[in-house]
Amino acid sequence: MRAFFLCLAVVGFQNVFSQELFVVTDPASNIPANSLAVNVMQLLFKEQVETGYNYHLMPEVSYGLNRNLMFRASAFVSNRNSSLVTEGGSFFSKYRFYSDDDVNSHFRLAAYGRYSFNNSDIHQEQIEILGHNSGFEAGLIATKLVKRVAVNASVSFEKALNNGSNYIFPENYGNNATNFSLSVGKLMYPKKYTSFKQTNINIMIEFVGQTINQNGKSFIDAVPALQFIFNSQARLDFAYRQQLINSMLRTAPNGFYFNLYYTFFNISKNK
Amino acid sequence: MKKLNKIHFTIASIMLVFSINSNAQILKAEIKAAGLTCSMCSNAINKQLKTMPEVASVATDLNANTFIVTLIAGNNLSPKIFKEKVEKAGFSIGSLMVTTKRETIAKNNYILVNDKKTEANEVKFQVVDQGYVTAKEYKKLSKLYKNMATYLANNDDDFHIKITN
Repeated sequence: MRAFFLCLAVVGFQNVFSQELFVVTDPASNIPANSLAVNVMQLLFKEQVETGYNYHLMPEVSYGLNRNLMFRASAFVSNRNSSLVTEGGSFFSKYRFYSDDDVNSHFRLAAYGRYSFNNSDIHQEQIEILGHNSGFEAGLIATKLVKRVAVNASVSFEKALNNGSNYIFPENYGNNATNFSLSVGKLMYPKKYTSFKQTNINIMIEFVGQTINQNGKSFIDAVPALQFIFNSQARLDFAYRQQLINSMLRTAPNGFYFNLYYTFFNISKNK
Repeated sequence: MKKLNKIHFTIASIMLVFSINSNAQILKAEIKAAGLTCSMCSNAINKQLKTMPEVASVATDLNANTFIVTLIAGNNLSPKIFKEKVEKAGFSIGSLMVTTKRETIAKNNYILVNDKKTEANEVKFQVVDQGYVTAKEYKKLSKLYKNMATYLANNDDDFHIKITN
């Protein structure tokens, strides 16, 4: 299994609205310009057929080029085949093309693209270019923040390619899919801010789904998460992913996420 | 003739730059940021503001998303820099109040939208241009100032100001 979803996890780092810093999906906001964010994502997903858990380690680095454009590079490491092996990597870019800010609220739209390569075996029908499949994805994201609550929706097209020359994508699987997500996050603590040092606590729930376009096979998962923000600069996420409905082959749909995320603001002084 | 125009243009440009710089000192800026509610977001703005060598201190009210920026004497800043910094952090200006020496606003890149006269040495004003107020507020203001051609022109380098003290 792979954890599959590691993928999802990606998450991010991103930006800066903590209530919308979801574990699985990216918000339409970006990381601040000229800032670097580092995320170490770890996933532990339970194998359904075999016994035991798959461990995935996905370090990511994100850079905000300007207020609207960010880039991210990720690496995929996993022990799916016994020892820890670097199986692939990914490049991601997101462009915020609409932003309507008001006092304590915003509505934003962004488009993103991701290309991933992976040399591991292909072991499930689910298409997941974060840590499992080679392929690409293109999508749209809408985020609405009002006071303490953020709501995020996304839709994307994802296509799987062969995993290197050793693992050809199976002909009897559909190789492209439509993904969708709906996420809600709420700032629980503090009720009133006193300083940047204060720890913030967010709770979130995400619903993440996929439909294979060729055959209509689908799944929907729920991902509840607990998030801590330390010193207004570091982030710690705990999340659990649970399959709700499914009609495709997935080897490890359920498992845990653990993210550590740190933002380095203004890395180049002369910008 | 063309050459002469070029020379005139160059001289005019130098004078303009000089005139903006010589007296454009800002003492204090109070920024209310829009588009955020979290302290990590506020910190992104805080860190952006502190990259400016002219900044002496930034005091933050996290609940109001307000940043009071005190600047060192003799700076050549214009209000534009605050807009740029807040936008780089990923947010927008909800309101910007600026405190300057009185002679600063006599400069031609500041255009008064109200008739308020002040005798105080330090003048406090709000910048009411697009990008310095919320989008909603700008809609209202562009109706209110619809007869003011410079306001509607949205020139980046002139500032429409409302004196409040």
